[in-house]
Amino acid sequence: MRRFVILILVLSIVLAACGGSDVDVSDVPELPPVTGDEMMAILAASEEPVVLNVWASWCIPCRSEAPLLERAAEQFAGEVTFIGVNVRDGQSGAREFIAEFFPDAPIDHYLDRPGDVPIALGGNTGVPLTFFYAPHGELVQLHSGVIDERTLALQIDEILARTG
Amino acid sequence: MEFSLLFAALMGMLAMWAMLWWEAKRGNAADCARNLWDVALTAAVAGLFVGRLAAMLGDGVNPLTNPKDIIIIRGGVATGWAALTAVVTVLVMGGKERWIVADGLSAAALAGLAGWHSGCLARDACLGTASDLPWALAQEGSAVTRHPVELYAAVLLAIGAFGLAAWKARGRPPLGAPSAAALAIAGGVRLVTEPMRLALSVGPTLWYWAAFLMGTVTLIILLWRKRTQAAPVAATPRAQPENQAGP
Repeated sequence: MRRFVILILVLSIVLAACGGSDVDVSDVPELPPVTGDEMMAILAASEEPVVLNVWASWCIPCRSEAPLLERAAEQFAGEVTFIGVNVRDGQSGAREFIAEFFPDAPIDHYLDRPGDVPIALGGNTGVPLTFFYAPHGELVQLHSGVIDERTLALQIDEILARTG
Repeated sequence: MEFSLLFAALMGMLAMWAMLWWEAKRGNAADCARNLWDVALTAAVAGLFVGRLAAMLGDGVNPLTNPKDIIIIRGGVATGWAALTAVVTVLVMGGKERWIVADGLSAAALAGLAGWHSGCLARDACLGTASDLPWALAQEGSAVTRHPVELYAAVLLAIGAFGLAAWKARGRPPLGAPSAAALAIAGGVRLVTEPMRLALSVGPTLWYWAAFLMGTVTLIILLWRKRTQAAPVAATPRAQPENQAGP
């Protein structure tokens, strides 16, 4: 029993030392507000395919997929544009989330306090949502709920295939 | 959509249970006092838990400050750590009968993996790299046809599971050999199918190589030992007349 307790303590210390981000919230810029029409214009103007993720700081599943999106954004930088739309949230919560989960990712984040953008794009009120667009705003796929690595990789491959 | 991963897990469990039930009729681990199904379930849950923790740590997410994230399996599970934990759990729970338990579960584990991979049908996640082969599939609305790579893995693992079960039933393999064979088959199937998978990073290929090599080398050693130990017994009847004809 004593060995088990010691093991748990050691494991806790190791885990506590892991993870977390070094980016301070004050280093994260304020998120520009965006409406549905403005977002559609951004998508239509994009020469690159776009992955648009709808997230919120209070959304637990969004936390679990955030590292995956960060990795994808870094890997496909220059080929695919990554956009994050924070919905039904505030600046402080959104910036804290970005500092913790997207510290260095090349993702353009926007604030949509009323949560109108996903509806305007043909989605629903749930989070997370991930839209996959070919260049110039052609919707290829909408994924509802937490996305996994295989699905993300497949859909990115699909929108890249439509780029050429 | 959210429950599609659960469906894949249920497919895996169902396949594992079906193989254990089918093998039980053929005397799989008949002398073993342990309940193989209990061991299998515990190993699967332990593997998922540790694999999820490892994936979170790998992504820089602290499980202590984000404990609710642990249950969101879809966020990722580190395959290597999950498999290692499951194997260790089986060996620990097996106690003195650890190799009998591991051998008893070997074919069922492969069947479970086959069921898990076939669960891609519910998740719309069967497709891999682009291919022009006649059986390649395209996702809805797409012109790009792709390898149904998860189905390849499911079929190969199912063949491996039935082959192993048949060998256990008829071939009387040495203790530990079915476990080694299962490890080699699982690692080998993943190695073969990995190049056709789409992923953000190179898969845990090192783990697959380790499993494949460890399983293959162990299997060869066990079979060789069985053969060398059996050889003198076979030689005795031939040697007897010479002894009788001695001085």
